[in-house]
Amino acid sequence: MSAMIQSGNGQKVVIVPCSGIGKTYGTVSREAAYDLTEDLRPGNAQLVPLSLLVLGDEAARNAVAANPAITIDGCKLACATKMVQESGGTVAQDFAVLDVYRRYRQFKPQSISELNEGGVQLARALAEEAAEIVDQLIAGGQNG
Amino acid sequence: MTEFLETTVDKFIFRVATDRFYNGEGVWAKEENGRVRIGLSDFVQQRSGDVAFAEIKPVGTSLAFGDEVAVIETIKVNIAFTSPVTGNVVEINPAMVEAPEAINQDPFGEGWLAVIESEDWAADRARLLDPQAYFAHMKIEAEEEAKKL
Repeated sequence: MSAMIQSGNGQKVVIVPCSGIGKTYGTVSREAAYDLTEDLRPGNAQLVPLSLLVLGDEAARNAVAANPAITIDGCKLACATKMVQESGGTVAQDFAVLDVYRRYRQFKPQSISELNEGGVQLARALAEEAAEIVDQLIAGGQNG
Repeated sequence: MTEFLETTVDKFIFRVATDRFYNGEGVWAKEENGRVRIGLSDFVQQRSGDVAFAEIKPVGTSLAFGDEVAVIETIKVNIAFTSPVTGNVVEINPAMVEAPEAINQDPFGEGWLAVIESEDWAADRARLLDPQAYFAHMKIEAEEEAKKL
């Protein structure tokens, strides 16, 4: 994982997951992003689709340029992290699903369109780790 | 410097190092001053996917040719591999604990699995495939895999 930065002024933290289709880790990354932005930290974390960054969508680029980003990559290509950086954003923390799985070996993800229970739990565990980073970034911004 | 045989099957490029021998599972064996370093082929690592965990028989383990020497776990599969050498495990790659993705990143180099003190390398080698034979074997397997895509 990369070194963490502080958000600076308490703005939202953008969450950019993998957009890989047909890969279990990609599905885990997106489920974790949904858990984080819809359930765990809906007020402080904002989902930005990787596809919009690839397309050069102005609102998406502005969001990552103005806020710290947490990226969740499904494979070693690290498309989410690279795209945030190429869009002028700063990656506060990058998660790789494979690395997270190594910390939670009991949650073996399987299937793609609908994750098995292990995959759901792995996504939740990842989201909870990311939520802590969101809290730190927001707190850092408020203190700074 | 290691040279490679190379083939493209579907969109995938597979390489076979020419300075070592192979068993039919794609475990390579390279003799180094009486000891034999072993690892997994490029085809095996690509077919298996990103390695999450690798468990290698510990130092001191006595192995016969064909005994289980390693198990890797990927998102797709758990696979056991057998030893291409008879002898004792004298070293295991420390990267296999913290960073087993080395198998994917550099299967013929930094992603090696173990070093085995061989009892009779000449006898073991005679039971293995040379690079050209493994290359042909691997191409057939790769083409079979491609048909499933």
